[in-house]
Amino acid sequence: MRVDVEMSGGSPKLLERKQAVYRNLDERYEIHGEKYKGQQYSHIYFTRLHYMRNLLYSLVPKWKPNLPVNTVLGLEEEKECIIVGTIYKHMKLKPSILDEYSKERSKVPLAKPHNFVHPDDHLILEDESGRVKLAGSLLDPSAFVTGIVVALHGKETSEGKFFVLDMLEAGLPPQIKQPPSLKDKFVVFVSGLSIGSSTFNPLQFQLLVDHITGHLGDENEQTFASQIVHFIIAGNSVQILQGLLNGQTIAPRDQSTLTEPIKELDILLNQLAAAMPVDIMPGPSDPANFSLPQQPLNRCLFPGASAYNTFISSTNPHQFELDDIQFLGTSGQNIDDLFKYSEAKNKLEFMERTLRWRHLVPTAPNTLGCFPFTDRDPFLIESCPHVYFVGNQDKYETTLLRGSDNQSVRLICIPKFCETGVAVMLNLRNLECHALSFSTSLNV
Amino acid sequence: MASGDIKGFYRQKKKQQKGGITKSVSASASKKKKPSKSGGSATLGATDPQTPVLFAHGAFDLTDDYGEDEERLRQFDMDMRYGPCIGLTRLQRWERASSMGLQPPADLRNLLSRASGPKSPDLECLWEGRV
Repeated sequence: MRVDVEMSGGSPKLLERKQAVYRNLDERYEIHGEKYKGQQYSHIYFTRLHYMRNLLYSLVPKWKPNLPVNTVLGLEEEKECIIVGTIYKHMKLKPSILDEYSKERSKVPLAKPHNFVHPDDHLILEDESGRVKLAGSLLDPSAFVTGIVVALHGKETSEGKFFVLDMLEAGLPPQIKQPPSLKDKFVVFVSGLSIGSSTFNPLQFQLLVDHITGHLGDENEQTFASQIVHFIIAGNSVQILQGLLNGQTIAPRDQSTLTEPIKELDILLNQLAAAMPVDIMPGPSDPANFSLPQQPLNRCLFPGASAYNTFISSTNPHQFELDDIQFLGTSGQNIDDLFKYSEAKNKLEFMERTLRWRHLVPTAPNTLGCFPFTDRDPFLIESCPHVYFVGNQDKYETTLLRGSDNQSVRLICIPKFCETGVAVMLNLRNLECHALSFSTSLNV
Repeated sequence: MASGDIKGFYRQKKKQQKGGITKSVSASASKKKKPSKSGGSATLGATDPQTPVLFAHGAFDLTDDYGEDEERLRQFDMDMRYGPCIGLTRLQRWERASSMGLQPPADLRNLLSRASGPKSPDLECLWEGRV
């Protein structure tokens, strides 16, 4: 892949784009034609509990060596012990399908809140043998969600609740040491293009594409652009006009309106794929399946771009390796759902929590759609990534998270490009991040 | 005919204890399947004893539909250690338990893989089609 440099007078100099060794690790998120046979979600919870419980059992002796470990049904009153189970958070404001049938219409608020947290929410711990309500002020329900597995130290009270004295989370998973690299190589992340929506500015994205492919700027800019080795689009690339999709037959002229955004995206992807490896992930508004893990966007949607072997349609969540650096990311559904059902300082704190709980999407399948796997839970995080990114967020945020076992993770919140015009650039050498901002307004 | 056969009574109670954990669930499930049979043929246990007048010969047709192999597989279905049983075939559940390191009994797998013939154990779990 070459970037031409045109200098006034004199022969053009050719700049070679750098390359990085890419390995796609999406296999665990692919459905592989598995058919839905009518099974329920109990299996995914069972496999999740089994895996996390074994993990926590191995960590408990170091944490509290002298206490017995019980199942929920084996709790005895006033006897201190450790129990391991899945947390269930009972939420007063959580929308329930049964509200439609409820006679008391007044309980349902007219305006849907964005956040369903209420001071009356309480936590329950559950394993195969039973459930127990959690009491005590150590655990703040607003920081937890249904679906995480933890170990609790406490004792059963006379009311039959479990008074919590201490809690153990699994913590950051072990990380494979990242090999040191000498050269500056950059990865660009973008998300929320929303082609087809009213907020999409074609010039803005074209600016981004031209800058990255090296068609803009002088030699310095182009040298900089030649160091970009990979481009990731983290979801919500198109926005299909919902008004037309109401179940009635679509008139031929409306049919072309429906497919316009995808065609436009294909043209842009064509330009990108001709220049460098591009990964496109599906997002909540893309034409992919709704429940996680979202399967790769069909290559037939991109007849132009899929001709290139640099074009990769990936799953959501997306896991890959670039020069032995582990990347893990989603298009935002996991963090957005955590935001609806719990509270934290900022989105980075939600991301940190998912790593500490070792589960990418703890609220699936409770409040986030998920495929009912029977034999595995693919969202368990077994090894710590070096870079963890989440797309379609409100603003660009990043931090370097340090773990207790020498892990170091770069957390990145990628903002929506259609609203902010910001793409994120990551340096593979030192995992430093900065924002690339594009603006087309004339009064800057 | 009214048999008042005490031995028949005791036989039924023993069967009850074996399937003890599944008392209420199985009673309703088996009632659904064979409503015509006498007394709702509470195979794995009903809480109230059957009135003698409903017995045909004093002995219950409890093992009519399944043999000992099926009974062992039913116990495998009901064992909580291996997780939920609905929605998977027994073989799939065995494979899952095996890959999770739970060490299910190996001879159950042999039973399931050579299932053939009329008296063979069912490949699907106990509640398949009933729930």
